[in-house]
Amino acid sequence: METENENKTKAKNEHNSIIEVKSLIKKFKNKLVLDKINLNIEKGKTTVVIGPSGCGKTVLLKHLIVLLRPSSGEVYFNNDRIDDLKEKELDKIRTHYGFLFQGGALFDSLSVRDNIIFPIDQHYKITDWKQIDELVKSKLAMVGLDGYQNYYPAKLSGGQRKRVALARAIALNPDIILYDEPTTGLDPIRSDIINEIILKLQRELQITSIVVTHDMKSAYKVADRIVMLHNGKIVADGDADYIRNHPHPVVQQFINGQVDEDDLALLRMKGTMSQAQFLPSDFVQ
Amino acid sequence: MFAVIGIKTFDFINDIGRFAKFFWQSTIVSLNCFLRAKAYPLIRTQMNIIGVRSVPVVMITGAFVGMTLAIQAYDQLAGMGLEERLGVLINISVVKELGPVLAAIMLAGRIGGALTAELGTMNVTEQIDAVRSMGTDPIRYLVAPRILALLLLTPILIIYTDLMGILGGYFISVIQFGINSKAYWSYSASFVELWDVAIGVVKGFFFGVAIAAISCYKGFTCKEGAQGVGQACTEAFVSSFVSILALNFALAIIFKAIYFTFWPIKSIV
Repeated sequence: METENENKTKAKNEHNSIIEVKSLIKKFKNKLVLDKINLNIEKGKTTVVIGPSGCGKTVLLKHLIVLLRPSSGEVYFNNDRIDDLKEKELDKIRTHYGFLFQGGALFDSLSVRDNIIFPIDQHYKITDWKQIDELVKSKLAMVGLDGYQNYYPAKLSGGQRKRVALARAIALNPDIILYDEPTTGLDPIRSDIINEIILKLQRELQITSIVVTHDMKSAYKVADRIVMLHNGKIVADGDADYIRNHPHPVVQQFINGQVDEDDLALLRMKGTMSQAQFLPSDFVQ
Repeated sequence: MFAVIGIKTFDFINDIGRFAKFFWQSTIVSLNCFLRAKAYPLIRTQMNIIGVRSVPVVMITGAFVGMTLAIQAYDQLAGMGLEERLGVLINISVVKELGPVLAAIMLAGRIGGALTAELGTMNVTEQIDAVRSMGTDPIRYLVAPRILALLLLTPILIIYTDLMGILGGYFISVIQFGINSKAYWSYSASFVELWDVAIGVVKGFFFGVAIAAISCYKGFTCKEGAQGVGQACTEAFVSSFVSILALNFALAIIFKAIYFTFWPIKSIV
């Protein structure tokens, strides 16, 4: 049953939504991953999608840019339906998006400079290379990596790779950026740098952001709104305070990072961790 | 058991269908790319990787094929007193069949495997999705330049193989076995026609496209993880290898039919 808070959030978002998802269902063979998802993304705000690993967060994110097609349901961008468009038609729509992939997805064979130039070169005829180099410099400065233009992705750390990928994602001045686990695999300081960049981009460029994460510290810091997915369904939708005080046990368990009784029961099983399980029977010390 | 066979057959037919769709899209996009100057730097880069670095491998292959043929055939021909015609046998075999097929197989191993591994890694690290997310068609950016590079370069690499095969055969026949050089070349020139050389070179266009399309498809559809990429490389090589042999057979029939149509009397003589 939807709460009053969730209804208010929905009504408010419908007026100013940049992306709208209606009754989205996604199945991989017989496995149901997303089950009738309805979601409105408000323009200029940061929406964070949280949920346990494997609950369909990334799958949902990829549907918003139609990298995946729904089994049924509809996706709208600026009130235009996009899930049924051909790839060629989608290419134009996708220039309004920036996508930060989990591992960065930088092109290994290209330098940092060429990675950032890539989307520009694909959509514009570059005549003034000096101006492009200035642009690359400014994009890298936004993520704190000016001076790394000639590095190759293999020479960068995980955090630097994500920041370069973010610089590439904003190369075309997108209206919306999709972040797939932007802080996963980073130490707390580097994670916070990414959070600050997300906030900075929203503050300075009024970019709409959708962040998929299971890092609650990051979620609380950047979110205007938090949506929780569980078993392919939205189980909670509201601001950070609303999520903190949500009565649903699954939400509380997730945001507090607690294992449930079933998991504990498995761990308590006798002999599970005993040495005998891991050594051959004829092993002699 | 019947259910398993049924599922495997269904999957196989499905895969053929997906490949046909991929191949059709790639062909259309490659034709467009061929006419767009913006794609030329990408094609040039691939030509350098695919062509220039493959020259030593295909030349070595050609030389050994020519030399081996000379060693194997000399005794039979010498027994009949026809050793001066050794050049005909070697050169026809090299330019028509062995040169093109073995060069293509070397390319399938050297280039096909590398293409699949590269695109497969890009696929599992979401780089192909990244290309799409930036509003670019990955077939236009990744597949078309590779298909065009192999289409244009495989025939040239086959010419290198043929040349080295001919030289290898000459070296063993004339230097090793002491066959008269003038007679060797004169018999070769009178029996090996331009048609025979052309057949081998034209085969290169088909082999090049087959290697590129199969390797790129396997890379694009490879499963996750290192094992997935490894499996895709193996499948790409095996499929390319079988396709080369099957295409060679089909082209032999087609070229023979063309030859009989245009030069019916010459073929009887």
